[in-house]
Amino acid sequence: MPSVGAQIKRGSAELAVLTILAEHPLHGYVIAKRIEEQTGGVLRFDMASLYPMLHRFERKAWVKAEWQTPPNGRRRRCYRLTALGRKQIAPLRAQWRAFFQALESVTGFQNA
Amino acid sequence: MPDWKQIVRKHLHILAVWSPEFTEELAAHLEDNYEALLCEGLPSEVAFQQTIGQIEGRCRVRLVMRFLQEELMTGVFREVALPGLLTSAAAYFSRWALALDHIRPKVIWLVGGELPLWWWCLLPICGALGALISRRNKGSWLRCVAASLLPSAILGTFVVPIFVVGFTISGLANHYQLVSVRWESLGLVPPGFALIPAFFSLSGAGIAEVSTKKFGCLA
Repeated sequence: MPSVGAQIKRGSAELAVLTILAEHPLHGYVIAKRIEEQTGGVLRFDMASLYPMLHRFERKAWVKAEWQTPPNGRRRRCYRLTALGRKQIAPLRAQWRAFFQALESVTGFQNA
Repeated sequence: MPDWKQIVRKHLHILAVWSPEFTEELAAHLEDNYEALLCEGLPSEVAFQQTIGQIEGRCRVRLVMRFLQEELMTGVFREVALPGLLTSAAAYFSRWALALDHIRPKVIWLVGGELPLWWWCLLPICGALGALISRRNKGSWLRCVAASLLPSAILGTFVVPIFVVGFTISGLANHYQLVSVRWESLGLVPPGFALIPAFFSLSGAGIAEVSTKKFGCLA
């Protein structure tokens, strides 16, 4: 699997996390696992990338975090996308689409 | 099962002090990771080493740096405080450099007050620097202005009152016999250290703002 440069990964992380959270409220470990699985391991977030970003989203009120204790009794901090966070997805997608189109016009590669 | 909370507290002491909640969250992540590795069939020792590797060595440094970066580099810090402090550093350094190179900035002092003209001439560059950094960090025009004015604000807030109090005490101790000289100095110091530098810094910020808009050099 080709590796992705750090800059591209960092830029795409916001969109990936927000999109995953648009489906369900999740806690950090599951967010990282979902993204890794859905991208076939191309995008992989370590703790240093994921949690500071989630906390930034929380400060911006894009997500709301709350501690939940499921039946197995282990507390996990779950992140739920807010209406404001949901609004960020469309512009981010548009930016990435424009980026890929621009890249396509230069390099001739086709994005999926 | 290892006590991940304790391990995280031990390895990331600064984060544990700063944000116990964040520490607990990281511990939960490591716990999930460890269990997942056990479920994959890894021996407990290998699973433990792989899991703890996420908070050791370079990973630990990166985690702490990223966390502090996100916590500290908030809007006001990035757009006002950081550019403002750099502006202040540039302003004070230029004053020190002028004095060092025997181009004595004619600093206002008690008797026979003189104006720091050379220093003032350099302040627009410092003000422009602050405004440009603030603008680069997505600061609004108001924050650009605030960043460029920080050196004068610091001087105005701390140095001038200290001077005035010191001067008054000296006056009361009857060190200065000439009342007119005392009033002359009091009239020169606040403008010389705060108001006029603010004007020069602001002019630099204004030029930077206009240039940015006209030539789009930060776009």
